[in-house]
Amino acid sequence: MVGEINMKKYILNSFIAATILFAASCKPEIETPAGTSAGQANFSKYIAVGNSLTAGFADGGLYLDGQKVAYPNLLAAQMSTVGGGAFTSPFFADAQANGSGYLNLSALVNGSPTLTPVAGNAFRQGSSVFLTKYSGEVQNLGIPGMRVDLAFAAPYSAANPYFERLLTDTQVGTTTYFQFIQGRNHSFFSLWLGNNDALGWATNGGVTSDATNVLTDKATFSMLYSNLINALTAGGQKGVVGTIPDVTAVPYFNTVTVSALLAAAKAINPAAVAVFIQTGAGVRAATSEDLIRLPFQSAGLFGTGAIPYGLDPRNPIANNWVLDKDEIIRVKDYVNSYNSSIKSLANSKGLAVADTYTYLNMVKAGIAIQGININSAFITGGAFSLDGVHLTPRGNAVIANVFIDAINSKYSSTIPTIDITKYRGVKFPDK
Amino acid sequence: MRKLLLSLLLSAPLWVLGQGFQVNLQGQKQIGMAGAGSALALDEASVFFNPGAVTFLEKNSISAGVNPLLFKSAFKQNGSNITENVKNKIAPPFEAYAVWGPKSNKWKLGLGVYTPFGGLVDWGNDWSGRYALTSLNLKAIYFQPTLSVKITDRIGIGAGFVYNHGDVNLQRALPVNYPDGRSGHATLEGTGSGYGWNAGLYINTLSNVTFAVVHKSKVVTKLEGGTATFDVPESLRSSFPAGNTFNAELPLPSTTTLGIGIPLSKSTTLAFDASWVQWRIYKELAFDYAVNTPALADTKSARNYRDGSSFKLGVNHKASEKVSLRAGVGYAFSPVQDGYVTPEAPDANRYILSAGIGYAPTSRFEVNASFFFEDVQSRKQKNIETGLDGTFKTLVYAPGLSLTYKW
Repeated sequence: MVGEINMKKYILNSFIAATILFAASCKPEIETPAGTSAGQANFSKYIAVGNSLTAGFADGGLYLDGQKVAYPNLLAAQMSTVGGGAFTSPFFADAQANGSGYLNLSALVNGSPTLTPVAGNAFRQGSSVFLTKYSGEVQNLGIPGMRVDLAFAAPYSAANPYFERLLTDTQVGTTTYFQFIQGRNHSFFSLWLGNNDALGWATNGGVTSDATNVLTDKATFSMLYSNLINALTAGGQKGVVGTIPDVTAVPYFNTVTVSALLAAAKAINPAAVAVFIQTGAGVRAATSEDLIRLPFQSAGLFGTGAIPYGLDPRNPIANNWVLDKDEIIRVKDYVNSYNSSIKSLANSKGLAVADTYTYLNMVKAGIAIQGININSAFITGGAFSLDGVHLTPRGNAVIANVFIDAINSKYSSTIPTIDITKYRGVKFPDK
Repeated sequence: MRKLLLSLLLSAPLWVLGQGFQVNLQGQKQIGMAGAGSALALDEASVFFNPGAVTFLEKNSISAGVNPLLFKSAFKQNGSNITENVKNKIAPPFEAYAVWGPKSNKWKLGLGVYTPFGGLVDWGNDWSGRYALTSLNLKAIYFQPTLSVKITDRIGIGAGFVYNHGDVNLQRALPVNYPDGRSGHATLEGTGSGYGWNAGLYINTLSNVTFAVVHKSKVVTKLEGGTATFDVPESLRSSFPAGNTFNAELPLPSTTTLGIGIPLSKSTTLAFDASWVQWRIYKELAFDYAVNTPALADTKSARNYRDGSSFKLGVNHKASEKVSLRAGVGYAFSPVQDGYVTPEAPDANRYILSAGIGYAPTSRFEVNASFFFEDVQSRKQKNIETGLDGTFKTLVYAPGLSLTYKW
């Protein structure tokens, strides 16, 4: 009997001990090195050099919500756990949050989007182009429209409202972007520039009409890019450069298809035989290898007129609406050349390379990331915003992770990756 | 006969003990022994563990028990520094048994109601894998009337018919955003049923070493007319019609168990069970929607489970007339292959540890308690279908209690 009481006591004590042990060891632990080390890099002052993608341009405009989720801003937030410092951006004030204005998806009618412009509210008085000036330190140096060639052209600082906005009156028209990005005492940089050197020409249908749609000469590109890299690494700084995506990887060129246009035409006039386009080599029937620009959908031209526009060789779709198959071959060749320059220059300086060219080609085919299917379909693909070129917040998070992976693998740092599921795709109307 | 059985045991393939959605909590005494005990005529839970042993139970009895189960799973995305945990939700696996037969007769009847499969995971609506899964609540309740017959004084056979009532609620976020940025949400809910059987052979050799061969059949559970609710922005409503329903099928696997019971002394018995769970039937999780749209096709998610297996060793020690002590260890091989680990069953090979105690104040009443612990090994995975990429780690805690009345 005594034995039994002792036994009960023993069992009771064992249960209490087990309960304490349980409470202490209850939560499963997963150890990882993420967020512990900057490796060979120093993230204390990061600057981001680039174009609209760096600035956070989205939905056809630069506005506050887009600026906040620009990939450099997401990247800088992640760097903070491995010694990254503050990161300043030329945000629009809350009262001018609509910035330059942007597009809103206001309805889906039988699957067709209705895009409604939201007016900008950051314009300077008396102007519908130039924006309220921003003064003060900036580390996000992204300028929508910036190109490698125009980074060395002082007059462009007066013509580009996003650049003009950041300059003093004396700098306007006299300072180049190349000068603007220097003297900022950075310890780390990202450089994702050059997209517009090809895209400007492509989004004008392979037609050059001014300095923003020139297809930059390959050797010029290489020389100027090397100047940029030399300036940014002048103090021995480390950094990451981004390759230039294939221009045909974006919804801008893959949404309005020749077959869809022809089907729409046939629905109205069964006699329609082909879509006719003006190319550099003359007028011909379009094939699936010719890409029509996204805005053609809402341009209200197709099929109009006594000789139906685009449906008769006498009234073809104008050259600037179409990136025809010869132009595609040309622009792809230029992008490949730019990218081999970028990679070899980066390698010679020991810089990390974020290969967005390869990554966005994967997105074009469709990938599943953390339970989300992402592809380059317009609106439903999730990665590209309503202008068909720039990224959604989700697309920015995905690209920021491409940069993080490149930096971590080059410099043995452990910048934690971004949870892309915290970032939205296109907003769908709830009515 | 004994020789025959031994050779059968020796020629058995390498057993793999499958887990997945399997819940190994079917009898308080056996739980205390890590789930071993198919070769012991220990109590009325033999209805589940080995219908062939039921006829060797000395008394008629009725019992009921519950094992509140805490499934503590954690996830860390590849490259992330944030660990996310499932919410504390307590699943209630339970078991109830009754065994009756005329005294000194050759047969007994039994009835078992138990929960051999299930899952309760709630990762919440904000976790990083929410587009793969936010929560799963899966319950399978088996009802099993059983007949057990003594063929000789040392050999018993038994079989039971199994009816399964299944209940599932599966939820995930949809990667479409409302104007305020929040995500859409899908809820699939339904009940279903399936049928199967459970049969066993029990042999008590002259040395009182006991053997068991038990086969529990697969139970293909069909869900028909479940409700599929999609919360999406109104502009997408035509793609995700309201009031939609779905059919689905969840194949619950068959299990073959070989057991040995070895009396070490008058008061101490060792039990060893090796089980082979034929999870390979779980090829895919398919949802067939009543209304399909271009955005809502029927889904077929590959699961491609392989067979699983487990090895469990338990000891039962009668410390006194009234007190019994139990302990067990086990190891189970996961049926989930690399690339197919999902947050609804973040499975991996696991260790099992258990302890139990029984107290019988009178010859009629008995109280049994157990504590069951599983350490599911950490597993870094990228799911082939969803791209969910990270490390899962799970610990399972299940204290339990049952009451028995015997006559």
